[in-house]
Amino acid sequence: MAKMKKQNVTLQVNGEAYDILTYPNRTLLEVLREDLHFTGAKESCGQGACGSCTVLLDGLPVRSCLLLAAEAEGRAITTIEGLASAGRPHPVQEAFVDHHAIQCGFCASGMILTAKALLDQTPDPTEIEIRHALSGNICRCTGYAKIVEAVKAAAAKEK
Amino acid sequence: MRLPPFQYLAPRSTEEALEIMSRYKGKVRIIAGGTDIMNLLKHRLLTPPYVMSLKGVADLAGMKKTRGALVIAAGTTLRNIAGAPEVRSSFAAVAQSAGLVAAPPIQNIATIGGNLLQGTRCLFYNQSELVRGASLPCLKQGGKVCAAVKGSKRCFSVYQGDMAPSLIAFNASAVLKRSGGSRTVPVGTLFSGHGTRPFSLGDDEILTEIIIPLPRGIYGSSYQKLRLRSGLEYPLISSSAFVGVSKKGVIDRARIVVGAAGPLPLVVEEAAASLIGRKPDDADIEGAAGHALRIARPVDNLALPGPYRKKMTKVFAKRAIETALAGLAVGA
Repeated sequence: MAKMKKQNVTLQVNGEAYDILTYPNRTLLEVLREDLHFTGAKESCGQGACGSCTVLLDGLPVRSCLLLAAEAEGRAITTIEGLASAGRPHPVQEAFVDHHAIQCGFCASGMILTAKALLDQTPDPTEIEIRHALSGNICRCTGYAKIVEAVKAAAAKEK
Repeated sequence: MRLPPFQYLAPRSTEEALEIMSRYKGKVRIIAGGTDIMNLLKHRLLTPPYVMSLKGVADLAGMKKTRGALVIAAGTTLRNIAGAPEVRSSFAAVAQSAGLVAAPPIQNIATIGGNLLQGTRCLFYNQSELVRGASLPCLKQGGKVCAAVKGSKRCFSVYQGDMAPSLIAFNASAVLKRSGGSRTVPVGTLFSGHGTRPFSLGDDEILTEIIIPLPRGIYGSSYQKLRLRSGLEYPLISSSAFVGVSKKGVIDRARIVVGAAGPLPLVVEEAAASLIGRKPDDADIEGAAGHALRIARPVDNLALPGPYRKKMTKVFAKRAIETALAGLAVGA
């Protein structure tokens, strides 16, 4: 096998274009955290089981640890850093703070992005829909009750 | 966890992808959605010289209705299948399978082709290098003896794809292309039955489409899946049932499939035979499901013990048949 060569990748993150030169075996998560310093997405399990690395790809939550950075080229990537606007947190972020849905915080960016994607598609979800949407994200602190409450509150606020 | 080094290939068309497959025959692994294979790469269970992503091949995604069938391109995401009205109305079990894979964020990117050709799994195989390094390599890792069934020369790894049982229940076919040729085969024949090399595809072939024939008349279908929690898990036992009834209200077609019970999905012929000719109300569902129990031989190599999973084959086959019969309707 020929030696692995770096390649140019252009990523659209939170509305801005970033040109990077990187090896093809790097995941989107690695590039976001290490090259572009968007450290909101976390590596926890590293194998798609926990959801702490969640980012939105064209508006849908995906595992950035299971996606090659090169495969995300041309897609709109949203990280937790891209949610606040004009210095104000996103309503889902506010609801998470107000309802104490964040304890250690490691799952929070994934939970919030997943909840935002749900509310974008289903503005008035049932509790079952909320739980189903969040079923791919693991939280080891809160017991989930506060998180579900926060998502319900964010939905009610946006109504 | 870092990925091993590889050369990355990103074709823009099916032809280009097929050309790559024949040029690097046996040396290239395909990333469709990537949700399964990325872990195999991270764990160094696969270390191919070349990795080809199919995400840029536009004609490998989407669905179209033809006369008498639904054609689903292999790169169509499970999310799009689970949510598609034409799948939910006519092929309920297929939509249910897609909607029960892992969790929604995985379904957003995982594909039907990737799920169908997902490798067999085993507690002794799907582990990090560190864990695997503590014991001798198993058969699937190139060793001489099975780690799950001590002393066995046969690999007992389990096929845990969610889509295959439902596709087989609906008599679906797979289109396999290679440079300069293609063949269409029943989905069930994609499986070799060998845990170490579970698929019968050629090294230069790509699965491009799945064709599901639209059943005639009145029918129902259902997919039932056993897992420890309602998100993020592979099936520990699964069952798909397809049941059709004649105009006189007699069951005239049935296919019962059991998944995650061995290296390939099992078609329970006796279960179907025992249902056919009976009216849904007096069909011996318990007896039909009992045939699934007899042919399934799960061993202790997944998160639940083999004997328990064996008992559950009957329970889940029964649920699948009952739910299929409860949903009998004319196809759309």
